[in-house]
Amino acid sequence: MHFRRLMATALVATGGLWAASAHSEETVLWWDFLGGGDGVRMKQMISDFNAAHAGTIKIDATTLEWGTPFYTKVQTSAAVGEAPDVMTYHASRIPLALTQGVLDEITADDWSAMGLSQTDFAEATWDAVTSDGKQYAVPLDTHPIVLYYNRDLLKKAGVLGDDGKPTGLGSGEEFTAMLQALKDAGVQFPLGSVTASGDFMFRTIYSFMCQQGGELMTGDEFLAGDNADKLTNTLELLQQWTNDGLQSKYTDYPATVALFTSGEAAMMINGVWEVPTMTDLAGQGKLFDWGAVELPVVFDKPCTYADSHSFAIPKNRGKEMSAEKRAAVLEVISWMEKNSQFWATAGHIPAYGPVTESAEYKAMEPNATYSTLTANMIFDPKSPLAGIAGPIFDVMSTYYVPTLNGEMDPAEAVEGIKEELNAL
Amino acid sequence: MLKDRRRDILVALMMIAPFLAIYLLVFVYPTIQMFRVSFTDAPLIGDGEWVGLANYARLDNDPLFRRAVWNTFYFVALTVVPGTLIALAIALGVARLTGRLQAIVLAFFFLPYILPVSVVYLIWDWTLNFQFGIAMHVLDWLGIDRVPVTKSARWFMPAIAWVTIWWTAGFSILLFLAGLRTIPVEIYEAAALDSANRWTVFRRITWPLLSPVTALVLTIQLILQLKIFDQVYLFSQGGRPNDNMVLVYYIFQRAFQQNQGGRAAAVAVTLFVLVVVVSVLKFQLLRYAERRRQ
Repeated sequence: MHFRRLMATALVATGGLWAASAHSEETVLWWDFLGGGDGVRMKQMISDFNAAHAGTIKIDATTLEWGTPFYTKVQTSAAVGEAPDVMTYHASRIPLALTQGVLDEITADDWSAMGLSQTDFAEATWDAVTSDGKQYAVPLDTHPIVLYYNRDLLKKAGVLGDDGKPTGLGSGEEFTAMLQALKDAGVQFPLGSVTASGDFMFRTIYSFMCQQGGELMTGDEFLAGDNADKLTNTLELLQQWTNDGLQSKYTDYPATVALFTSGEAAMMINGVWEVPTMTDLAGQGKLFDWGAVELPVVFDKPCTYADSHSFAIPKNRGKEMSAEKRAAVLEVISWMEKNSQFWATAGHIPAYGPVTESAEYKAMEPNATYSTLTANMIFDPKSPLAGIAGPIFDVMSTYYVPTLNGEMDPAEAVEGIKEELNAL
Repeated sequence: MLKDRRRDILVALMMIAPFLAIYLLVFVYPTIQMFRVSFTDAPLIGDGEWVGLANYARLDNDPLFRRAVWNTFYFVALTVVPGTLIALAIALGVARLTGRLQAIVLAFFFLPYILPVSVVYLIWDWTLNFQFGIAMHVLDWLGIDRVPVTKSARWFMPAIAWVTIWWTAGFSILLFLAGLRTIPVEIYEAAALDSANRWTVFRRITWPLLSPVTALVLTIQLILQLKIFDQVYLFSQGGRPNDNMVLVYYIFQRAFQQNQGGRAAAVAVTLFVLVVVVSVLKFQLLRYAERRRQ
């Protein structure tokens, strides 16, 4: 008897608790893949949000493994109605997501409920979340690659301008000459490049292709017309840097960052997400005088590859989202957008225009310096084959690694890439 | 008596029922589904249209699939027999030790086996790192040019084979040690009385009496290595995945990266058939060898 009474009391108690919370507070299930320095910042933003919405909305967040594991889990869970209420998504993965039917459209009503509109975002960023005139995600940021540099070493080699920026950013010849000057000044690796990771180098290579007006996909065809030549030009330039001993060979991601932060590499092309690494090291007095700028124009015009972390609402099969829940989700997204100033400390450029135009953002360095590149961005081609950790990455990576390290002829590599991509 | 027997069967059924249910649900049913899906153009989730043998026909002129088959068998050739021989040699060495020393040495060889693959990957990735790896400093010291081991098509498979043998040899060594202990000491004593030399003792006594264990180790290794995935996936990330393609990786790529469940299933069925054929062949070969010895 005693036991039964205890059970009954417990049931009533938990039921009561559940009922109470269901009435007053909406819980928003949140999934992200932000495991690095930016993940720490996102957790801060989530706890700030929860504090500001105590009693009304609560975010219940889970961080999952970046890349294929995350997207597979989203796909399988959406298929059985177990996906979260909101999740982070790479804009480059949206085309594939649409063929899988895992994303819910962000409607005009949703945009007005969030108090956001197209004019708040850069054109390329807005386009990246758009398909057939409909939007499927809300861009939180753009995260391009930039050129990091060591002012002390550049000054020693006489290639630091009076404005504190590197001098040779105007053309391929200028940039190569600057690397040579650094080499002559005794720098072991003028440029630290992630030459062991072809998928990472895709970002640099695609940027340089775009600087010649090239594109990866024309309709459904890969490297059509003279786009193959533009890729060959790019690979030739990068291979020449390797052959002349101007960039580090077979260097993987962590080793590249280590070469730069230890002062063995004078410059480094890497994602803006390494900004916190530099800021933190500099804060501890363990780093030289450093800066970051938009990629050099090595061909005809400025252009940088970027992707965007965005918020998406999964389409849960067989489970309709209540109007209250939807409103709560939109409030979450809207709040995150409008408070993304803090997100900028992770290096990413906030996608929400009013934030990057604020005086507070303009005072942030080097963020304010490189954020001008948002006018010259190129995103992944809109194909289910594109996007981070996608099949295009694998094909290109396989050819880029030997080519960048001087083992394969660029023309031969482009031939192979073209053949394999078109066979996908 | 009869009644008791019936009861025994009932009890037996009840005891295996949980296992049987789970086995049918998570192994037999998916396997049947895999065969069915391989004849459709289904995505990773959901159903597709019936396409007959199209998924299989495409494999015929798919260079990536061919590379995957080649690399898988290359890896098997590099690991199964060499790994078994290395384990046997180590086991023979360890067997000569006694007491606490034997336990310590055995522990050293067994230690890598308890590590998860991610840890094994991190240890060797940093050891072989082109810029900072200890192995590269050894090459520098020897005056040899540095080798980008995991980024070169030539060295990748041998390196993965080496890492795999290092990682998994401990288990084979244990099996061999157990086998060595079952050989009666009297036989060795008799051989010593006949003043047989060490090589003769190994060839005439140890090797034949150990052959059931050797066959077991070979079989386990063969099936395990045909299914190679983890190490290749981890070491190829960002490198040259398509040059290092193996069959299970190819299944993963088709299913999870390209959302092509049907085509992935066709490769999975092919691998399944390959494993069956190779296992039967190997079994027949061992039986033949056994018969010839008798």
